[in-house]
Amino acid sequence: MDPITFSIIRHRLFRVVEEAVMTLKHVSGSAITNEGHDLMVSLYEADGSLLLGGVGFLHHLTSAAEACKSIIRRFAGQINEGDLFLLNDPHTAALHTSDIYLVSPIHHEGELIAWSACFVHVYDIGAMNPGGFAPDAQDVFSEGFSSPGLKLIDRGVLRQDIWDTLLNMVRGPEMVALDLRSMIACNNVAKDRMLALVGKYGVRTVQQASKTLIEQSEARLRARLLELPDGSWQSRQYFDVKGEVYRTLLTMTKRGDSLVFDFTGSSEQSKYAVNCTKWASLGGLFAPLFPLLCYDITWNEGVIRPITMIAPKGSIVNCDKPFPVSVATVGAIQSVNNAACTTIGKMLACSEKYADQSSAVWHANHFAIFMFGQNQRGGESIGILTETFAGAGGARNFGDGVDIGGEIPNPISRMANVETMEALFPIRYLFRRRLRDSGGGGEFRGGTGGEMAIVPHDAPSGGIHYALSGKGTAFPQSEGLAGGNPGAVNDYVWVHAYNNPEAKPNFAQNLEAIPGDKQSVSWGVFPLMNKDALYVRWNGGGGMGDPLERDPAKVKQDLVDQAISVEAATQIYGVVIDGIAVDVRSTKKLRESMRKLRMTEGVAV
Amino acid sequence: MTRVRISRTLSAADGHIVCNGCGHKLVVAGNPWKPYANIAEVPVIGMPGAGTGVQPTIVLRQFSCPSCGSLLDTETAMPGDPFLDDVLEVVNDRN
Repeated sequence: MDPITFSIIRHRLFRVVEEAVMTLKHVSGSAITNEGHDLMVSLYEADGSLLLGGVGFLHHLTSAAEACKSIIRRFAGQINEGDLFLLNDPHTAALHTSDIYLVSPIHHEGELIAWSACFVHVYDIGAMNPGGFAPDAQDVFSEGFSSPGLKLIDRGVLRQDIWDTLLNMVRGPEMVALDLRSMIACNNVAKDRMLALVGKYGVRTVQQASKTLIEQSEARLRARLLELPDGSWQSRQYFDVKGEVYRTLLTMTKRGDSLVFDFTGSSEQSKYAVNCTKWASLGGLFAPLFPLLCYDITWNEGVIRPITMIAPKGSIVNCDKPFPVSVATVGAIQSVNNAACTTIGKMLACSEKYADQSSAVWHANHFAIFMFGQNQRGGESIGILTETFAGAGGARNFGDGVDIGGEIPNPISRMANVETMEALFPIRYLFRRRLRDSGGGGEFRGGTGGEMAIVPHDAPSGGIHYALSGKGTAFPQSEGLAGGNPGAVNDYVWVHAYNNPEAKPNFAQNLEAIPGDKQSVSWGVFPLMNKDALYVRWNGGGGMGDPLERDPAKVKQDLVDQAISVEAATQIYGVVIDGIAVDVRSTKKLRESMRKLRMTEGVAV
Repeated sequence: MTRVRISRTLSAADGHIVCNGCGHKLVVAGNPWKPYANIAEVPVIGMPGAGTGVQPTIVLRQFSCPSCGSLLDTETAMPGDPFLDDVLEVVNDRN
């Protein structure tokens, strides 16, 4: 194939996905999709292999490939032009039940030539807690509707019996219907544009270009791996639920042109819903691998071929049925993301050529807070606090992490405006801003996370409730690299208002100023009623390098910007500020004494 | 032996793993270097910015060069958990 035609087809494939994403967002009505960008659209080959990974949560690129392959096996001989299939079973391919895959076969003149697949986190899935994350679930059977594959549209005709059955099992069926319709529209657009591409260039030419694209990605990744040194690198993530501590241990081994991710040594599966299945772990390790190792390589099956995963059965990263998994995406999957980010970062740091591509861990902990209850218009609302998608950048080899800078596993994640959330729920924000001292210290600082507080407002029922799946309060998970500190942890504080009509939060600007008794919460369903408040802070990114090497002028600027405290400037960075200026002499003296302490304390073997 | 980069802070040279800051030889190449660094354990709960729910026993292990005090690496750890072990095969092979 001539290179110009190949290049045009490659670019057209990207545009197909881009237009499908836009369609998904235009039709969807939920903040989690439109604002948080908790979505994914990709194209797959006729056999279900990843052809072109799109944007959104990258965990799903490999899982949706498995969804297509599973549908091909299950519906052999029954896949027709105009069909559309639904799959959301975590043990078949999905991450958790609320992330529904809709996959469409793309036929050309009767021949199956490709698949389009997408997901959104639907408004509700009928789990025991509203919104899909079910901290109270004891098993997967309590986590809502789950299908290993069903035909939702048969030769272009919606199967009304299936549609009605599904919507009969969820809260807010009109919103779930909108979610499903947005995905149907997305797949329709992807299919139309693919057929237009085939119509212009011919099916064999497009298939040849696809094959070449996959071969090219595999060759380029293998060549890159050959440039990197052989070795093995480890990472360990801790997280807890109700005092039970779990470890995700990863040893990543690189030999020649292949990589093995081995999770041997990770904790056994949990009775809480933080477990994940093997498909979720596979997606979890690829989410940072795509952007960190393949930032200039097309994300497709070719990238997957050099990679092997070992995930012990019955562990927290490959749980058995019926252990619960609804919190997986913010539980074990995220620990897999973080661990893979660290090991890949360590490997890249060994190479002079690629050291600048290494990154400390970004936003390591989502906080899944799904609010539910009567809204200010008398209807019902369910939805996530989208600040969980705001994230925090990990520090790089050459620069600071971006404050509230998103996350590696989803390059387009973001949060909604305060006004959007106040329009959706009967709440008022007291404040929302960057969180001081949340970015891990280092020569290059991790990006800050954020903090916020909300109170009930104009609530017919006096307030609202929320399901909190809050891992990430006990252990920092945004690991630093090469001497960098980890980013700070999450926190969730329920402020019980004093029984005093004068004691209102009004315009309190920090947690301490909110009147009431403060109780840390992390797991379960809680009320936000009357004059109570909910305070949330989210983690920062990991730091890079020795904090004592940080330019004192940058430390001073961090102080001015309120990214760090005076305490951190002194204790972590060894910088003394005199009024508004760096005290150069005192800083030099303090840093020398801190280094001397390192040389004398904790003596080596 | 040619100098081989191990990380931002460490290299292998002359058959040893050395500090990039001062060239101090930590250990003969092919062996884990962390036991030969100075190790401080800082409780995370006492660090600026720690949250209200931080586990009291989790620490930040800081591995420093005994010669110049450069911070070579960090890792969070619970009591009794082993050091994370990163191995560069070319360093082991040349030992």
